[in-house]
Amino acid sequence: MRNVMKNIVQKSPWIYRINAGSCNGCDVEMATAALIPRYDVERLGCKYCGSPKHADIVLISGPVTEVVKDKVLRVFNEIPYPKVVVAVGICPISGGVFRDSYAARNTLDSLIQVDVNVPGCPPRPQAIIDGIAKALEIWKTML
Amino acid sequence: MSGIMGYFYNLVVFPGGLFALAVGMFFAGIDRKIYARMQRRVGPPIYQPIIDLIKLMHKETLIPRTSNQKAFRLAPLAGFAGMLVLVTCIPVPGVFQGIGQLDNLLLILYILAIPAIALMVGASSSGSPFGAVGVSREMVMTIAYEVPLIIVILTIGIKAGNASGVLADFSLKSIISLQKETGSILSDITMVPAFIAFLCCIPGTLGAVPFDIPEAETEIAEGPILEYSGISLGLFKLTGWLKMFAVSALATVLFYPVPYGSHWLLSVFLFILKCLFTILISVTLVRATMARMRIDQAYKFYLRIPTGLALLSLVLTIFHVHV
Repeated sequence: MRNVMKNIVQKSPWIYRINAGSCNGCDVEMATAALIPRYDVERLGCKYCGSPKHADIVLISGPVTEVVKDKVLRVFNEIPYPKVVVAVGICPISGGVFRDSYAARNTLDSLIQVDVNVPGCPPRPQAIIDGIAKALEIWKTML
Repeated sequence: MSGIMGYFYNLVVFPGGLFALAVGMFFAGIDRKIYARMQRRVGPPIYQPIIDLIKLMHKETLIPRTSNQKAFRLAPLAGFAGMLVLVTCIPVPGVFQGIGQLDNLLLILYILAIPAIALMVGASSSGSPFGAVGVSREMVMTIAYEVPLIIVILTIGIKAGNASGVLADFSLKSIISLQKETGSILSDITMVPAFIAFLCCIPGTLGAVPFDIPEAETEIAEGPILEYSGISLGLFKLTGWLKMFAVSALATVLFYPVPYGSHWLLSVFLFILKCLFTILISVTLVRATMARMRIDQAYKFYLRIPTGLALLSLVLTIFHVHV
């Protein structure tokens, strides 16, 4: 019964995007490329939601600049459990082109637990969808 | 079945409660599927609303520290309860006659406003500025779409009153029996503008796309339901699905309850089909082809086009009845 429930629940992932100082490249890939008819993620039950309190999977892009760091943490803490974190692009992993900048001193995984990394600058839409699929597997173990 | 047990059955099983929920979820699923197909996408399965609901039950429910706890917790329940009473009042032609004391269109109009008011109470008790913006927009929308809705209902009341010899008759039973004798109200050419006005009000009451200004997720982050999570959000979703069934059923009862089948199963089937048709032409097609309006545009739209059409029908009906 519990397994059946898990399988049912993981068919309704609601996605929330946090832009942590990104250059918008990854956001364009997430918002348009992953949602255009060609790569329809709604067939998996996904839905982009506007409120962090409705989210199940969080997509974070950008190098987590000093200015937005506290805000990112605050929004992240407003997401109810169980939640899965997907870091999109190379920036949250190492800083990418913003590495060693005076304004971006933390990687994302030094602040919060990251479940899936999707590297790329920007990553291809297929890679983002693959990252969401991997996040679903992890989400299933959390239920 | 009669008395308290009968009312309880009507509230929980048919036509309220389980039946209305199942049909409402089915409509929501079909709506999302056809919306996706119109954009040449595959779209979610039709049973997606049920999955969403089960998912929301498994989520943590957060209550903001700045909120008024009692109002925040009770608002979704109040909205859901109001909607449950509303779907119980609506008759299914040929199967269910409606409950005697609740058999009144004006009463239904009042109860229809309860979910919107519950949403306002919940949002304003959450202490979120986005919620406050959403509340003000929701209020404007409610005021805007209630005007044509009231005029349409008045028109139908005068039409039914003419048949039973009073000034205006708002009983759903007599409206259905009138249409049983003289054919559907929609077949009368003077009532077509009123029907279009009613269709224009449906997306407003449901918060569907051209009029989803209170819940605009890209501008004000879902507005009134921003702070809700878990099962309280699920209750708001349930209320929305019940509302979807309720307004489409109201359109069916008011404008084309006939023909209905001789067997109760056929009647229910035809009823659901008519409701689905209403939802498809008034919500899905509009939602897939239009973008969101601004609040001032929506307000002006409601006070110009649907109100004008409804007034046209009202004047024609009064002229037809009394001159």
